[in-house]
This record gives sequence, C-alpha cells and structure tokens, in this order.
Amino acid sequence: MLPRLQRFRSLRRAFGRPTALLRRHWGRVAIGAALVPAHAAAMLWMPRLFGDALDAMAAGGDRSALLATCRLLLWLALAEAVTRYISRQTLVDASRYVERDLKDALVAHLQRLPMRWYDRARTGDVTSRLTQDVELVRFVMGPLLLHGGSALCLLPAGMWLMLGMDVPVTLASLGGFAVLFLTMRLLVPKLHGWSKKSQEAIAEVSQRAQEDFAGIRVVQQFGLVERERAAMATRNRRYLLANLRQTRLRALMHALTHSTSGLVMLGVLAVGGWQVIDGAITVGQLFQFTGYLGMMTFPLEILGWTVATLPRAYAAGIRIAELFEEQPEPDAGDDASLRGGLRADGLTFTYPGSAEPALADVAFELPAGGKLGLVGGVGSGKSTLLALLLRYYDPPAGALRVDGRDVLTLRPSALRRLFAYAPQEPFLFSDTVAANVAFARDGASAAEVDAAVAAAALGQDLPALKDGLATVVGERGVTLSGGQKQRVALARALLSDRPALLLDDTMSAVDPATEARILRGLAARRGGRTMVVATHRLSVVADADLILVLDRGRVIERGTHRELLAHGGRYAAAWRLQTEAEALGGGTEGAA
Amino acid sequence: MSDPYADDAPEGRIQLGFLARLWPFARPYRRGFTACLGILFVSFALELLGPWVLRQAIDGPMRGAGPTDERLRALGWHGLAFLGVTLAGAGLGYVYGLLTAWNGQRVIRDVRRALFDRLLRAGLSFHEKQTAGKLTTRVTSDVENLNELIATGVLQSVFDLLKIGGVLVVLFWLDVGLALFTVATTPVVIALSLLFRRNAQRAYRAVRGRLALQNAYTAELIGGVRTTRAYGREDAVALRYGERNGATNTAWLATVFHFSVFFSLVDLALRATTVGLLWFGGTAVLDGSLQPGQFVQFWLYYGLLSGPVKELGEKYNVLQAAFASCERVFGLLAEPAFPPPRPGGAPGLPSPRRGAARVEFAAVDFAYGPHAEVLRGVSFAAEPGQTIAVVGPTGAGKTTLLGLVGRLRDATGGSVRLDGVDVRDLDPAQLRARVAYVAQDLFLFTGTVLDNVRLFDPTVDEAKVWAALTTVGIADFVRSLPQGLQAPVAERGGTFSQGQRQLLAFARALVVDPDVLVLDEATASIDSEAEARLQQALAAALRGRTALVVAHRLSTVRAADRILVLEGGRVVEDGDHRTLLARGGRYAGMLAHAAARA
Repeated sequence: MLPRLQRFRSLRRAFGRPTALLRRHWGRVAIGAALVPAHAAAMLWMPRLFGDALDAMAAGGDRSALLATCRLLLWLALAEAVTRYISRQTLVDASRYVERDLKDALVAHLQRLPMRWYDRARTGDVTSRLTQDVELVRFVMGPLLLHGGSALCLLPAGMWLMLGMDVPVTLASLGGFAVLFLTMRLLVPKLHGWSKKSQEAIAEVSQRAQEDFAGIRVVQQFGLVERERAAMATRNRRYLLANLRQTRLRALMHALTHSTSGLVMLGVLAVGGWQVIDGAITVGQLFQFTGYLGMMTFPLEILGWTVATLPRAYAAGIRIAELFEEQPEPDAGDDASLRGGLRADGLTFTYPGSAEPALADVAFELPAGGKLGLVGGVGSGKSTLLALLLRYYDPPAGALRVDGRDVLTLRPSALRRLFAYAPQEPFLFSDTVAANVAFARDGASAAEVDAAVAAAALGQDLPALKDGLATVVGERGVTLSGGQKQRVALARALLSDRPALLLDDTMSAVDPATEARILRGLAARRGGRTMVVATHRLSVVADADLILVLDRGRVIERGTHRELLAHGGRYAAAWRLQTEAEALGGGTEGAA
Repeated sequence: MSDPYADDAPEGRIQLGFLARLWPFARPYRRGFTACLGILFVSFALELLGPWVLRQAIDGPMRGAGPTDERLRALGWHGLAFLGVTLAGAGLGYVYGLLTAWNGQRVIRDVRRALFDRLLRAGLSFHEKQTAGKLTTRVTSDVENLNELIATGVLQSVFDLLKIGGVLVVLFWLDVGLALFTVATTPVVIALSLLFRRNAQRAYRAVRGRLALQNAYTAELIGGVRTTRAYGREDAVALRYGERNGATNTAWLATVFHFSVFFSLVDLALRATTVGLLWFGGTAVLDGSLQPGQFVQFWLYYGLLSGPVKELGEKYNVLQAAFASCERVFGLLAEPAFPPPRPGGAPGLPSPRRGAARVEFAAVDFAYGPHAEVLRGVSFAAEPGQTIAVVGPTGAGKTTLLGLVGRLRDATGGSVRLDGVDVRDLDPAQLRARVAYVAQDLFLFTGTVLDNVRLFDPTVDEAKVWAALTTVGIADFVRSLPQGLQAPVAERGGTFSQGQRQLLAFARALVVDPDVLVLDEATASIDSEAEARLQQALAAALRGRTALVVAHRLSTVRAADRILVLEGGRVVEDGDHRTLLARGGRYAGMLAHAAARA
C-alpha cells in the first residue's frame, strides 16, 4: 500500500502543476476528449461496410445496395474528418497553452530565487529544463492525450470487433503487432541512452571548435593548425563511433517497423485463408480484417512511443518540480527611503563552500553624496563588496550599513532601489539598444534615453549601427564590442536615476579619450549622488573622496589620491606606470 | 525597423547545384550509395510482389473449388511465399539502414574535417567579422543537417518519385478505368498539399523565429539575473518573457490549425477516393468485368501510393533546411586560406631557424579597405638582436604593424622582409615557427598550465617548460598550485592575476624559442607583479632575439635600441631614447606629459 501511495505522490509531484494548468482549459479538453471516442467509432464502422460490400459484390448483389453503402461511407468519412479536426485542435491547443503557462510560471519563479542559487545553477541546465523538459511534459498533456486516448478507444474496440468475427485470425494478425510493440518498448530506451553519448561527443567537438575560433590568433601565429586539426579529428572520430554504435539499433528498428504490416498481412493471409477455406469467414470479412488492422498500426506505434516516453516525461516533470520547490528570496524588511551614506565595520565575508574569505576586516565610511574608489586586481574583493551592497549575499549582522541602518534589516528591493549598477561584463538582452538603455525604467521618454546615451558617449557609435537606437543587439542581432556594451550599461545606469551609482570596472574596454569625456560628463551630472567605483584604471578614481586599495580581500592602502601618491606604495607605483602607458599611447586593455 | 520575430535563416531553395558540390565528399563512398539505390529497387519489387501473392491466394485457393486439403496446401505455399517476401524486405531494410547511416556519417565527418581545416586557415580579416559561436554552429549543427541530404534525403526522394510512377503504371495495367479515377482525384490531394505546405512553412518560419528569440531570452534572463535584480526589474523581465512566450504560443497554434485542417482534409480526400473506388470497382465486379481478387489487389496497390505521397511532403521541409545548411557550409568552404598558396603552387623558400633575424619594413602600406588605410609608407630595419619599441596614440596602427611580421596579415603595399627575403616568399610554417607573438593578454585554452605553456605540443618536455617558467620568474607560483603544472585552467583563466598572465605569456614564447618576438606590452595594473620581476622577465624574453615591442613602459622604451613614434599610420620620429629626447619633438612631449601627471 505504501509504495503505491508514494508512487502516487511522486506522480503528483511531476505532473500536478501541469495538470492544474490543463484544468484551466477544461472546456477544450472536455470537447476534445468527448470527440475522441466518436472519431474511433466512425473509423471502426467503415471496414465492416467495405467487407460487406465486397461480399455482396462477389455474391452478385445489386447496385442500389452498393450505392447506399457508399453514401453511408461518405457520411462516416466526413464525421471522421470533423471529429478528428476538432479533437486535434482542442487538445493540442490546450497542451500549447499549458506549455506557455508553465514557462511563464517557471520564469516568474526563477526571478525570485536567491543569488546563491544562481551561483550553483548552470545556465544550460536551467534552460534545458525550461525548454526540453517543458516540451516533454507538454507532449504528455496534448498529443499523448489525443493519440493515446485514440489508441485506447480503437485498440480494445477493434479487437473486440475482430474477436467477434474470428478468433484465430485475430490472434495471428495481432501477433505481428506484438513484434512492433515490443520493438518500441525495448529498443527506444536504449536509443535514448546512446543518443546521450553522441550528444556528449558532439559537445566536445563544439567546445574545442569554439576555443580554436576564439583564439585563432594564437592558433595561427604559433602554427597550431596541424595540431588542432589532429585534436579535432580525434574528437570527430569519437563522435562518428558514438553515432555508428546506434546505427545497428536504428536499422533494426527501421526494418522491424517496416515489416510489421507484412507480418500482420501474413497472419491474415495464412490463418485467414484457412478460415475462408474452412468456411468460417468470407473473403469480404477477410478484407474487413485488413481494414481494422490498418487502423491499428498507428495507435500501436503511438502506444509503444508512449510507454517509452512516459518515464522520460516523468523525469522531466520531476526536474521542473525541483525548480518550483526552490525557496524564493524573502523580500521582507524595512521599506526605507535611502540617501546613500555607506559604512562598513570589520566586514568579513566568505562565499559558501570557499575556504578563504573574499573580504576580510574591511572598514570605511562614506557620507551620502561621496565617491568611493575601489582598486585592486583580479580576486581582490572589489566585486564582492558591490554584491554585498546590493545584498546578493548576506553580510554579517551590523557589518554593513546604509544611512546608519544594517542592510540586513532593510527590504532587499528597497535597498536595491538606492543603486544604479553597471558591471564590468554588462548584460545586454536581445532587444533594441533603446530598450536596453531604458531597461531600468518604465516609460522613459525618448529625450531621457537620448540624454543618457549622450552622457555615456554612446552617440558616437550609433551612426555605425544600421537602425541607430532601434538596432537589435545580442544573439539574433548585431554584436556590440566590449566597450559599446559597457557604455550601454552605463547609459542604463544613468537613465535609472538612482541616488547612488555602482560602477564595477565599467570602462575597462573603453579607450582613454572617450573615458575621459564620459568622466567629465559624469562629474557634471552627478549632483548629490553617491558613487562607488571599482576599477583597474586609476585615473577613474583620482577624484574620489576615499580610495581603498584591496588585495585578496584586505585593505592594504587607503586615502585620497594625493595621500596615496605621497605614501609611495602600490597605488603610487601603479599610477606612475599607467601615466607612462597613457603618455606612450596605450592605456586600454585589449585595444586592437 | 526589422522584425525581430522574423527567422533570419535563408529560405533554403532546393538547388541541385549543391549536390554537384557535395559529390566530391560522397565519391569515396559511391559503392555504398550505389548499393543503397539497388536495395531500394529490390525492396520496391518486393513491395509490389506482396499484394500479388495475396491476390493469387484469394482468387486461387480461397475462392477456388477443389478438395480442402489441396486448397490448404496451396494456401500454405502462398503463405510461405509471402513470408519470404516479408523477411527479405525486413533483411534488406536492415542492410539499407546500416548502409545509409555508414555512408552519411562518414561523409559528414569528412565535410566537418574539411570545413574545420578551412576555418582554421582562413585569414584574420575573415575571423574579425565572425563570432566564434556562429562558426561553431556551422561546424556542428549545419554539417549535421547535411546528413539528412546525404543519408536518406536525396536518394529516398528520388526513389519516392519513381515509386509513385511505378505504382501508377501497375494500377493502369491492372485496370485502366479505376486507375484513371484515382489519378483524377490526386490533383485534389496535391493541391491540398501545396496549399498546406505554403501555409505550414510560413507558420513554422514564424515558430522558428519566435522560438529562437524566446530561447535566447531564456538564457539571457538567467545570465542577466544580477542586472535584473540590481534594478528590481524581476516583474518587467518576466513580463517581457511572457510576451515572447505568448508570441511563440500564437505561432504554434497557427501550426496546430494548419495541421488539423490539412490532416483532416487529406484523410477525407483519401477516404472519398476509396469510397469512389469501391463504387466504380464494385459496379465493375457486379458487371463481371473485374475479379474480386483483382479488385483487392488494386486496392492494396493504391494503398502503396499514399505512403510516398505523404512522405514527399514531409521530406520537403527537411530537405529545405538541409539545403539552407548546405548553402552556409559551402559558402565557408569557399573561404580562401591565409596565407594564400604561392602562384603556381611553388613551395615557399626555406627559412630554417638560424638565430636572431634581420627584420625590415620597406615602404609598407596597410589598409583594411578602400578608405581604411592604417599604415602608410612605414620603413625601418631591426638588425639581428635589436629591440625596436613602437609608441603612439590609439589607432596609430601599432598592433597592425606587429601582425605583418608573422603574416597574420599581409601588407597591401611595400614589403616586409626577414633576413632580406619578403615574408610572402617564405614557407609559411617555417616563418611562423621563427616569429612568436605575445599579446597583451594571454589567451588561455581550457586545459592545464602545462598545455597552455607548451600549447599542447607533447614533444616539448616538462623540463623545458620548467626552465621557461624559471627564466620568467613564475616557477615558484606554479609550484605552489595544488597540482603544479597539471593545475586546470578554467575558461578565461580567472584565477591568474594580470601580471601572472603576462609572465605565462612570456614563458609560452620562450618555449617556442623564436628568432623574432613581436610583443604587445600589457599596461601595468595594480595587481602587477613586482615591476622589477616583469622587467627581468621581459629582458629574458628579448635576449638573443630580434624584437618588435608595442611599449607601454618608460623602462622598456629606454632599454630599446630604437624607438618608432607612429602617428596616423606614419613613422613621425625614429631614433633611440636619448636622440629623441634631445630632439624635443613628439616623443619628448609624451614623456613631459607623463612626468607632469605622475
């Protein structure tokens, strides 16, 4: 009893939510489901009429009876077409709606999951749940309902009709179908396993190719072409072998499915012929049998697929349920209006699963409207500090305060409303440049967008884009350069018009002259905004009220630009070298 | 504004010209393809044989007179014959499946290999216009689509057409009147199919375009979660996703409609035809002009027709996608290799390693296009072992100049010479073995530290790698990694500081031991290694070689034998540090500017 209960529970876990969504379209489902048996009945009536007609022909019946039969058959054909049309349309439509609603619900849920969940999640895994897994579940909710339901009506009824006519012929011809069913049942799961292996093999090909193309300069200049060709040949061969391993199975399936109708006909011919000679049935009835059997091939194939697909759909349903079961980030706390005074006391933070702290004993105070510069290398903790300010992670109690209030007591969404944030690797959505700039604010006017674009020095690039601000960027549009993306992110931050601005190495790919222009513009427009700027390039923070030099999570130097130069430490040395580089003409990392 | 929902994939017209271009790849496997075609013909014959046996059984033993025993025995023979036909069909089907897969997989392996090779050899001017992601798709999915064409597509479609013809011939042979009737109804089915195909294609195009957009957005809303969260735009993003989801849904529903209508109408048309057959055939049987067995045979043959007709419609879409891929793949296969082969296929002049070389630029011009001149009349010579520093503002053409020595690009005017010979006359492989390029930022491949330093060349032993690491002064750091040389390098190498990457780049160059080093010096970062160590490493890398350095450090220009000041693609000053400083020109101005800010 208990295992059955558990099985029911896990089935509910996998399909409960989609079923609830399907229920919203109950009208469609009811009509479709009601017409499935009607369709089957129309179909099953026909062979009988054909068979009788054939016998009547052989016995020399009259034309009027034949005409009446033909007329009835035409009506049945019409009924068959209409019921099939309506049931297909209603049920498959319903499944498409379930797919849409399920995806919407999933995305809305994902938007609320905490950042630490995203740190663990792999994009590919989540997208595959959102696409392939949902598609599998949809398949169960729609086409399977239609074809499976149809099969469940046609098979027993057809079998009952056939058994009523002649038992041996029925058994013999169904034997042929058993082969088909078993083929599907046994071979399809194996095929899935092997497809997975070949997927993995092609993924390796893809990954290597991607790297070689990305690093084509190194590949060509260091004469790696031959070596990479050989490495690729090995992967390509592995993929070939993985595919060839499937071929025997595929060929077998192909051969078996194609010979099924032959085997069925053999049963009809041999056993049916014997029954005809015995006088148990007529040739017309034999003909009637072939009619029934012809109707069963497709439902049986579908049933085979269903049996093979259900476990996979179940697994997909569970994977989707797992996402829904993740706890969203609680959005609770004080809904204060903040000005942007920042203060850290003994701020130490270690990422979950990491041994070393990302920030250790960091302390500073910045009044609202001040500018804080964070400088340091890769992994020094700059970005972590920004992430804590945005409360992507929880700092220790009392260690980080905004306007004197512990960030832990503030409602996360209220805290985030304080900041406009432009990261080093900015994220652009596949949308127009204008929509990306206006991302943070609903109903921004064209003039406001233009102003932000101008302030981020993005205007100079627009003429080169084919549709200006309306150019679609990203995956299916124009690819922007790193510097252009950074300036879009900056324009986005400026347009959001928040009290504080967080820039995380936002101009690393922008050339120095443009950067200087942007900085002048920013200084002029800044007003009373608080600014926190993390950077490699020291000129960006030279005018900051306070500069922290971070190294592996610790503050190793602090002060204003002047104080740090006078101190003669790391900052001063780096400043001298960067000034030289700028004078000699370089200055941008990765400039062409 | 362009419609973001439109599918940008080319329409993929069915062009037989592509088949001719595919032929060289299929040629080595022509025997396999011939065998497949042969099998198809035999299976077709078997398919025709089946109903004939059935007719014989009906008109013979079943309906015939005579003792039951004899009739049963005759039926047994018919049954055996039918079994034979079925088994032979299954066996042939199996072999056919194997052969098509073997042929197809091998052909696409060869195409993929050729395409990958082409792309690796294509020039930088090509790669600068492409993204790695798009090229990867060409090598993987597009080549995969060709399989449809090679393995089953063409062969099967041609065969389906033949089969339809063949069955029609048999139908006419059996009974002209009934055959004429069936032929008369086929235009209806064909018209329906054509109409459906046009509508369904449009609907599927809409689905593809919208789904691609939606899926892109799916990945983006996960990747962009920090941005969304920072601006509190969770609801807006979910809404935007919902719009795209809804758009895809609408497109799907259109396909559902077309399919529901089409399948129902085609079923109706086919059923109506069979009812008609029954009427005309029935009256013929009643007239005594047709045997019932003949009628059944006709009926069964007619059934053979519907399969290929339906299949052709389905195949068309697949073939179309395959031809679209074909177009893209062959477009790339036509991409010329860089460096281009020498005229007449003559091999390049040998250029073995012989120690520091003389590098000479003689009135070199370079332009990316008609109005994109980058270098104009650049002339200078680096004597063996000399270091030449290049300075000048962004966009002056410094990096382009570096690329000309090892032929990442070719000069559009003038000549770049190595030991007096134009680099275009040298054997490209030997040239590139003599010239190493060190970029500002080390490009890291997924693999280990060892892989990245010796660039996957197993002939370089670890001792040599350690020696290089020691020379540039990063051996201690590598030793401190948990797995030492075998430490994995993650994508983009996030674990290494800027300075460490620079040192590893020097080590990579040292392992290659080039005669000429072209180097883009990295700007100092706050996490730079101690400056002294970087300078030592640079000195070690330059020792005993001719070097061209885009310099970002005063210490580097000071130590150089010669400094070129590049502006607007021209050399505006040329001389050593002292001379240029004394001249009080552009170079002196640059240094004064630096001194004033520091």
